[in-house]
Amino acid sequence: MTSSNGFTREGKDSFVAVFGASEREVLINLAEQLVEILAERVDEIQGDPLAAMVGITGHDSPPDDEVLLRLLPNAYADPVDAAEFRRYTESVLREKKRAHALLLRSQLLNDQSSTVVLDDEAAQAWLGAMNDIRLALGVRLEVEGNSSEEFELLSPDDPKRGVYAVYSWLGWLQESLLHSLMDDGSSEESRR
Amino acid sequence: MARTIEEIETLVEPSLFVDRPWVTIVWDDPVNLMTYVTYVLMTLFNYSNERATELMLKVHNEGKAVVSSGRREEMERDVQRLHEYGLWATLQRDDQ
Repeated sequence: MTSSNGFTREGKDSFVAVFGASEREVLINLAEQLVEILAERVDEIQGDPLAAMVGITGHDSPPDDEVLLRLLPNAYADPVDAAEFRRYTESVLREKKRAHALLLRSQLLNDQSSTVVLDDEAAQAWLGAMNDIRLALGVRLEVEGNSSEEFELLSPDDPKRGVYAVYSWLGWLQESLLHSLMDDGSSEESRR
Repeated sequence: MARTIEEIETLVEPSLFVDRPWVTIVWDDPVNLMTYVTYVLMTLFNYSNERATELMLKVHNEGKAVVSSGRREEMERDVQRLHEYGLWATLQRDDQ
């Protein structure tokens, strides 16, 4: 999974990466899965007949699914405050995450070449989408502190091992974009 | 009989009189990259690389760090933006 060199900065506002066919496919597939799981949450909310009957459009109980709960976390420790906040903000958060994943996907689908060029805005969306995918995989893999060794010890045909390889590769890709973004010669200047 | 100021103050929400700010807390999680957390703090709060790195390390080593403080509405906005980036953040009244 390391045939590409990750992202590099080219010029002031341009970040470029070259992907192999299988890398592209994996990224597109993961972005679609992310969109799908966010859609499940919408179904969960709209599928609540009682809420629909009384005309509540917002939803205030946290998601049951661990992945969704990590993507759409509680803003308060207090459940009443958390519910109130969620009712007014969750749909916005969900929509942002969906938009990030869809942008990543469409950029890979539209670019017939294997080269992806991001401007600063697209780079932010990619960062967010890659991170959301890693959060989702991390929850499913039950990643903890330093678990890389644990995953390397798994048998080669354990499916978790493959998923962990993708998870690590995504982290590496995200890191390459971060370094390109921060290495603009001005990041060392004090901004405060 | 008219109430004294002290009596009135005990009847109303004390927070109206005490200027105790709200804080945004970022919690440690095993997935987010250290570079990413630093980058997000620099981007959202305009912190210097040094300041953002210091806060990131506090999150990493102590399990959490206060990354901003102010009015409740402002902290709600900060938490929402941190959630957009996938950081695990909550807000609460400053307990110190």
